Amino acid sequence: MKNIIKHEFKRNFRSLVLWTTIIVGLSALMLVLFPAFEDSMGEMLEMFDAWPAGFLEAFGLGEGGLDMGNIYGWYGVEGYLFVLLIGGSYSAVLGSSILSKEEDEKTIEFLLSKPVSRTKIIFGKIFVIILNLFLLNLLMSIVLFFSFVLFGEFDFLVWVLFSFAPLLHQLVFASISFFISVFITKSRAVISISLGLVIGLYVVEIISKLTDSAEFLKYLTPYEYVNAVDIVNNNIQGIYLLITFIVITLSFVLSWMFYNKKDITT
Amino acid sequence: MIKIKNLTKIYGSNIRGVFDLSLEVKEGEIFGFIGPNGAGKSTTVRTLLNLIFPTRGSAQIKGMDCVKDSNKIKRMVGYIPSEIHFYGEMSVKKFLDYSFGFHQKIDHDYIKDLIKTLDLDTSKKIGSLSLGNKKKLAIIQALGHRPKLLILDEPTSGLDPLMQHTFFEILIQEKKRGTTIFFSSHILSEVQKVCDRVGIIKDGRLVRIESVKNIISNQSKKIKIKTRKEITKTEEMLDFKMINNQYTFLYKDDLNHLIKLLSSYDIEDLIIEEPSLEEIFMDYYESKEKA
Repeated sequence: MKNIIKHEFKRNFRSLVLWTTIIVGLSALMLVLFPAFEDSMGEMLEMFDAWPAGFLEAFGLGEGGLDMGNIYGWYGVEGYLFVLLIGGSYSAVLGSSILSKEEDEKTIEFLLSKPVSRTKIIFGKIFVIILNLFLLNLLMSIVLFFSFVLFGEFDFLVWVLFSFAPLLHQLVFASISFFISVFITKSRAVISISLGLVIGLYVVEIISKLTDSAEFLKYLTPYEYVNAVDIVNNNIQGIYLLITFIVITLSFVLSWMFYNKKDITT
Repeated sequence: MIKIKNLTKIYGSNIRGVFDLSLEVKEGEIFGFIGPNGAGKSTTVRTLLNLIFPTRGSAQIKGMDCVKDSNKIKRMVGYIPSEIHFYGEMSVKKFLDYSFGFHQKIDHDYIKDLIKTLDLDTSKKIGSLSLGNKKKLAIIQALGHRPKLLILDEPTSGLDPLMQHTFFEILIQEKKRGTTIFFSSHILSEVQKVCDRVGIIKDGRLVRIESVKNIISNQSKKIKIKTRKEITKTEEMLDFKMINNQYTFLYKDDLNHLIKLLSSYDIEDLIIEEPSLEEIFMDYYESKEKA
């Protein structure tokens, strides 16, 4: 399995660097801008009062929500969403392509002629997905650490949650994409579907916030599981964590079970 | 070495596959597996490599089941596919490292030898290699761990005649070392060169297994001839046809006889060639019907 992991890590390294630069860079930019906005924040917040309550709620700015006057609230509104959206996209692309690429480019015929089991191929690839997403968020956590120390009162738990809650969010998309790619082996097709999920579920999240009658939808969207308001209030909910773990584990395990029985007919 | 028993593979909607196929390949022999495209050759090869699962029946290599013991089997198998799909962005050297990284034992000297014999530049990216060079790489990755069984699926496609010659020399060398070779191809003449026995597959069914010696001695020639006089068909002329003033037929007897006979017809043009696989089938079916 070491051979597979090494190979896959190298193969996906460039895209890891690229996406990490974009995600961490954009967040860092937002964080650096905080001091400039801090002083004029009062006026801005007054402006928000004129907006509909539901709308503010959707962006985490409602009652008991984020306060853009401090660094955590600022990041929750201005940086964290990018991490979720762009990080989600990266994980969807990674999860969609890492397995399907072998069949799409027909290299699987080579790979399976070697003494390596399908189980090792699957888990080697899953390992690299987890490793890459972990590295992305690790780098993010370093940037966040310095920002939170410099621009606010450092809160360890909030820092940890802001740093690694997105990892769970990304793993949900990566694992679902991975599962889809067991059945649809055209990489482009899987990527389209997965990116559709990343955007689509964000829309579901907004809808669940805008109208009370659609509130139940929040259980369907990974954006809700790790939302910034819960993080700032140190209040990640157990039920969400449970759903997250079940979805990730089930997607990966089912991928493995189906892949082990699958005819490869490239 | 290989024991395939009542192997049946039916793909969902597609009728193509293999049906009730049984064959045995002995240790140390080169077994040619021939048939037209779509006859089920690749399906059989893919079953041996466990890329696909049998619908019914089984395949064994060295007494191990191709599904259950696939991993163990692949330690002693080398495979050269018909179309080469390797990782285009990797260099030849890195690819070989990756490829042999799956094996516990590899023969470094042999690999160096092969690279030298085949004259392959290992610093190049695979994506930039010509078809012939990709094929060379496929040969090296299949042989470097000194496999006991070599599975070849249309291995000469895309090789120029010179490279084909080198390739067949490598095969003969491997045979001398005791390697068993399963050689799938649609070209009978290339299989004849190196194989001990040949299995013919058509529409997913094994039609016949024969030693190459028998095939060659039994094999008819295809005659195309234009003459100024009309030819009277004799008993030895099979599948006799006349199109556009040209006679074609298959002939199995002593060629000297034929030439003597034909010379009396005032020949304008004469071509004697190996019949195509289809024609051999026809020949085979006809002779079977007679019997």
